[in-house]
Amino acid sequence: MLKRYFEKEWVQNAALLTLLGLVVYYFGFHFEFKYDFDWAILYKETPYGFMSDLLINGLNLTVTISLYSAILALGLGTLFGLARLSKFKPVYWFATCYVELFRNTPLLIQLFFWNFALPYAFPEEIRARLFELDFEFWVIVGGLGIFTGAFMAEIIRSGIQSVPKGLLEASYSSGLSFGQTLRRIILPLAFREIIPPLGSEFLNNMKNSSLAMTIGVADVFWAINEITSLTYHSFEALTIGTVIYTSLSLLIAGFMNLVNAKLKIVPRGQENLTRKAADLLFAPFGMVYSRVSRTKRRIARRRAASKTISPAERLAQLFWKGFTLAARGAFLLFLCLLLYKTATALLGFNWEVIAKNFKSLLIWRFPKGGETEFCYGLGGLAVSVLMAVISITGSFLIGLFVGMGRTSRFKFIRIPCTAYIELIRANPLLIVITWVYFLIPVMFKFELKAFWAGTWALTVFFGAYIAEIVRAGIQNVPPGQVEAAKSTGLSYFQTMRKIVLPQALKQMLPALVGMFIADFKDTSLIYIIGVMDLTRAAYAINNRIMMYPFEIYTTVAFLYFVCSYCMSKYATHLERKLSPEQVRLDM
Amino acid sequence: MRSFKLPALVAAMLLVSASLVFAGPTYDRVMKSKVVRAGISNQGVPFGFIDENNEWTGFDMDMAKEIAKRLNVKLEPTVVNNNTRISFLQTDPPKVDMVLSNMTHKRVRDEKIDFSITYFFDGQKFLARKGKVKDIKDLTKMKVGSMQGTTSIINAEAYLKKLGNPNPKVIGYDGEVAMFEALRSGRVQAITTDSTILLGYAAKMPGQFELVGDFISDEPYGIGLPQDDSAWRDAINFTLQDIWKDGTYEKIYNKWFGPDSKYPFPLTSKIEMWP
Repeated sequence: MLKRYFEKEWVQNAALLTLLGLVVYYFGFHFEFKYDFDWAILYKETPYGFMSDLLINGLNLTVTISLYSAILALGLGTLFGLARLSKFKPVYWFATCYVELFRNTPLLIQLFFWNFALPYAFPEEIRARLFELDFEFWVIVGGLGIFTGAFMAEIIRSGIQSVPKGLLEASYSSGLSFGQTLRRIILPLAFREIIPPLGSEFLNNMKNSSLAMTIGVADVFWAINEITSLTYHSFEALTIGTVIYTSLSLLIAGFMNLVNAKLKIVPRGQENLTRKAADLLFAPFGMVYSRVSRTKRRIARRRAASKTISPAERLAQLFWKGFTLAARGAFLLFLCLLLYKTATALLGFNWEVIAKNFKSLLIWRFPKGGETEFCYGLGGLAVSVLMAVISITGSFLIGLFVGMGRTSRFKFIRIPCTAYIELIRANPLLIVITWVYFLIPVMFKFELKAFWAGTWALTVFFGAYIAEIVRAGIQNVPPGQVEAAKSTGLSYFQTMRKIVLPQALKQMLPALVGMFIADFKDTSLIYIIGVMDLTRAAYAINNRIMMYPFEIYTTVAFLYFVCSYCMSKYATHLERKLSPEQVRLDM
Repeated sequence: MRSFKLPALVAAMLLVSASLVFAGPTYDRVMKSKVVRAGISNQGVPFGFIDENNEWTGFDMDMAKEIAKRLNVKLEPTVVNNNTRISFLQTDPPKVDMVLSNMTHKRVRDEKIDFSITYFFDGQKFLARKGKVKDIKDLTKMKVGSMQGTTSIINAEAYLKKLGNPNPKVIGYDGEVAMFEALRSGRVQAITTDSTILLGYAAKMPGQFELVGDFISDEPYGIGLPQDDSAWRDAINFTLQDIWKDGTYEKIYNKWFGPDSKYPFPLTSKIEMWP
């Protein structure tokens, strides 16, 4: 009875409006903020100059860093993604090491390593020369590029491998060579598979650039902090920062939507508005492409016409063979050199320092801390793991309900859920952490300790991501099953619990483990609010000793790596169990 | 029954993580809960930092402990940094009851929060590698670093302008550690902030660095307190004066800055005393 009532359009709109009205009423009239807003600080001159200048400089830097590192990441991703498919084993090993190493350690630790430890690998003169060239800026660009590149490599590899086996069999049996299959069958298909996840990597890359602040590059997040500490208007600064990051994310997401629309195969004459806009935007590229391919085809036709191979061509082939051989040799040599360097560096480590501080890195000063400290001074890896486990449990619950809510027929459930997901996903974790630690307790008048604030921030943040995974999982279940369940008289929640979720969850499992790894790595960002997690502990120890940044950051990276790598191995194991078919590209 | 499990779990999580604070003036709240929450830095050697035994210590920490002892309440230290030390007092309810984080008492800051009487006297200086700065004018040609979220950057830029650099640019690092690391590794040739902090970090590598030039500003430190809460401010001020009167202040001071300590810095001023 009530349900039928809810299905009416006007009831839903009214419910939405009431919800909005209640929120507005509570915060507008009922709620006492005790905080004088002064938005003018953002554009008027203050004793410390114009705050808008800081923001504009920050925006400029954020955009520059994102662009440069995205280009670098795309290059590295393509290179290593292809290298992961190489039959030449050393190349494959090297690429695998790169991907696994950089995917399984937190970006923050990588940045600390590049920024604090790497310069000491060089002699003093070169170091001085390096520092003259805006070193921190290039550290963030390079570090971000290498990090995102590792993710892109995996996307590109799995995209290429996702080509159905039957298609490959058909193409080889109709006499196409590997090169032809690659060009005509694999790449066009893989391209469609690769582009959407690549787009979200670009988005992540932009959001991750907020870490620039931690090594002293004045990006948007830095500007927010600076405004907070100069004008003491944290709420305004944080709001404008959120607005900036959200609009940047929306811009990138909008662009990616156009690209996706362009890639979709639509019958002629049925294009919608997005597709038309995309066609218009990408028209110049299309023109260049068709011109190039026409020239190529002409050359190919001419070559096919001549029955014999000209001596010049034979020479070129020979040269190419020699070149690949030489390149392989050079690569092997490079690999040996790299191994040798790493080995000597490891042997030269001051192991005593690591041994002495290892316990601190694992549990900080656990039983010896005072009562007022978190859990008697627990810290280090233990806190990181604890936080990750608690927050992923929480975000799974949030994700489950919000993900279901997003697929709901009812507008007044769907719209708030969508708003939550999109708003959170558009902002960097650092912003979410600051909101939760700072302003949520003030808005709802309770006290939140740093550890719990961090845990809640991670919960809310990853809840949005898991909601998207859940939604995809639910939508993957064939609609016929839902119809069947409904016609046997099951209610919505019964259908979900007994039919849809068991299947969807099984499919989601690898993605969920992936999220858990991401959550575990991102606990490192909690360091900004002063929780003694593994990163903060390393920072404190390094701060005290000062002499051995290499040893400490390598140990920490190793600790993070071991934990994440074990989990990611488990995820691949799950994935293989669910879809045992492995495709080989050439037969 | 099963469907109640999830909400119950969420509720439990909320309960564990959030503890309600007593509303009302700070003094009553502290006396009722018997806990005073102090915001202290954990990377400002020697005011608040983490030592060899991973203990959180420092001058500010000792002062906070002494104040808590005299108020007969328990001390609960909370980490603050240059960006959060003021906003933690501004929120309602405040996240901390007092902030001892080598914070200079400035008029712009006093408009937002209240301060106790000055409990430490410092000034801003420059630190550079030994022998690198012969004349103070050399600083104009050097890359200079400082900390984000302090007024040191603005002071230094004004000072360098006065020395003859038309467009000075001081890099703002995230905290003391990063700033000193920048000097040590050669990213910048000089760093500038309050002289005691410079001394604290220079003492980590004795003999390699030196303070150069005169004080470029006065930095009287006050304890940051919530705005418009005079009972609490009185309690803190009286306690501070008591600490000075019976010689405990000198004891704590000499422990950190005395002639035999790692960071010798002579005590020249006297805190304000009310008869």
